[in-house]
Amino acid sequence: MKKSLPYLLLVPALLFTVFVLVYPLVQNLINSVCDVSMIKGANGWVGLHNYERIFNDTLFWHSFRNTAIYALVGTLLALLVGLGFALLLNMKLGRISSIASFLYMIPWVISPVVAGFAWKWILNDRFGIINYWLASAGIVKLGTSWLGDPGTALFCVMLARIWQFYPFAMVMFLAGLQTIPQEQYEAAAVDGATMVRRFFYITLPNLKSVSSVLLVLGVIWSFNDFNMVFVMTRGGPMNSSMVLPVLVRELSFVHFDLGRGSALSIVIFALLVSLSYLYLKLIAGKESA
Amino acid sequence: MKKAMLTSLMVILALLVLLPFLWTFSTSLKPLNEVNKFPPEWTSVNMSLKSYSDMFFYLPFSTYTLNSLIVASSSTILTLLIGSLAAFAFSRFQFAGKNVFLLIFLLSQMLPGASVIIPLFQLLQKVGLYDTHVGLILVHTAFLLPFVIWLLYGFFLAIPRDVEDAALIDGCSRMQALRKVILPLALPGMGATALFAFLGSWNEFFFALLLTSSDSTKTIPVGIGLFVGEYLDVWNQMAAAAVLFSLPPLILFMFTRKTFVKGLVAGAYR
Repeated sequence: MKKSLPYLLLVPALLFTVFVLVYPLVQNLINSVCDVSMIKGANGWVGLHNYERIFNDTLFWHSFRNTAIYALVGTLLALLVGLGFALLLNMKLGRISSIASFLYMIPWVISPVVAGFAWKWILNDRFGIINYWLASAGIVKLGTSWLGDPGTALFCVMLARIWQFYPFAMVMFLAGLQTIPQEQYEAAAVDGATMVRRFFYITLPNLKSVSSVLLVLGVIWSFNDFNMVFVMTRGGPMNSSMVLPVLVRELSFVHFDLGRGSALSIVIFALLVSLSYLYLKLIAGKESA
Repeated sequence: MKKAMLTSLMVILALLVLLPFLWTFSTSLKPLNEVNKFPPEWTSVNMSLKSYSDMFFYLPFSTYTLNSLIVASSSTILTLLIGSLAAFAFSRFQFAGKNVFLLIFLLSQMLPGASVIIPLFQLLQKVGLYDTHVGLILVHTAFLLPFVIWLLYGFFLAIPRDVEDAALIDGCSRMQALRKVILPLALPGMGATALFAFLGSWNEFFFALLLTSSDSTKTIPVGIGLFVGEYLDVWNQMAAAAVLFSLPPLILFMFTRKTFVKGLVAGAYR
């Protein structure tokens, strides 16, 4: 009895994991080699045909490129912003810093749907406040449609995503900054190191492990991000801001082609497993360091 | 001098960061003809809370709110129940395969919703749970569980074994020890975890969007997400809905920020 107790305690949690992990993966693999339509039902084995169609589809490669840019560039910029905010908050101005850190974290706490809505509204071509300001300053002409232009749509969504993700980086960096031994700075000050040198030779090296964890986590999360793109552009205009998670929905729930959607899901899953592997390596490295 | 400069920099940055919300809040207070006015203005003499009652009248937000409350609170309770059993096992027992199980939970946290949505959709349809509260609660619970287990595991580990051993010596069974000794001590941690779970479910959009179809099950984010672009003419009511919907997370966050931040930092490393 005593031996089996821990396993018994795990059973409910494991059942749920099977429900969202094991079963869907198996079912996805089966779907992906079959012709499954939401309207016409399952029509049997088609081999790798669904995968072939995906890899021969320019939309897939276009979305893949978008997703990679969105995840990588977006995360890097969010880390930079987060680091800047963390350095500012680390100046320890007492109560003001505490209030400021609360305000700076709000974008992370708010639902992504609300965030997407708010951004869409301030970027509105006719009544948005950003357009009005930029036009008043003579930078753009009035009525510029940032989200309606295939050239700028993805970058606007990315901007919103950066805004939503930087607080996480900020909090992590702030925690990292507070673990840096004060003696290192004191020693450097004795040696007459300037503030800039202290930043590059003490602060940054000490933040290396937290930065790499943040980078991988950020890339994974942004790679999976459906919400911001869907709410702001639905992948449009003309698929210019299409990313892989939105494309899965498009194939499966707009074109009702579950077979092809499942094949794409498997592709996304494979990409994510590689990224997660990287993450595991990183945190394992941190523990042994 | 330096302090004054830094303070003003902080204030400017705060305004910049909060700009989308401030503008949304301003919009929610304006009558429709002033929402669609050019040049746009931040304030007006005609500001009122009218949109906040109109949204319940013209758009089905009262049903959505009820649905969100049902789904988020049920998911929270279910996740905490199941999660604390698992976390208790991890923190108090040595058993074969422990690390493998921990790894499974860690990895399922990385799982993209997009790569499991189709089978979940098929399954829920097959068993008649598509477009029901129960279906959505089960999916939310499953997705919140890994993170909740990791959080609780950390909190449970921090409770000294001695306390529990003392209870066992005094004749408590293992389960009694969990219920009477560990749970009360873990209560603050569990509170923070419950907050995470609640917010996770409350804000969740992807599954709620794709696993529901009728107004009687849709949650608030689905309402907002779907209406953006379709009800362009009522931006002020949409803004009011966005503001109201953001209040519970904001208030909860305000009171539990310290624990929230601690959990955030710890969660990323485990």
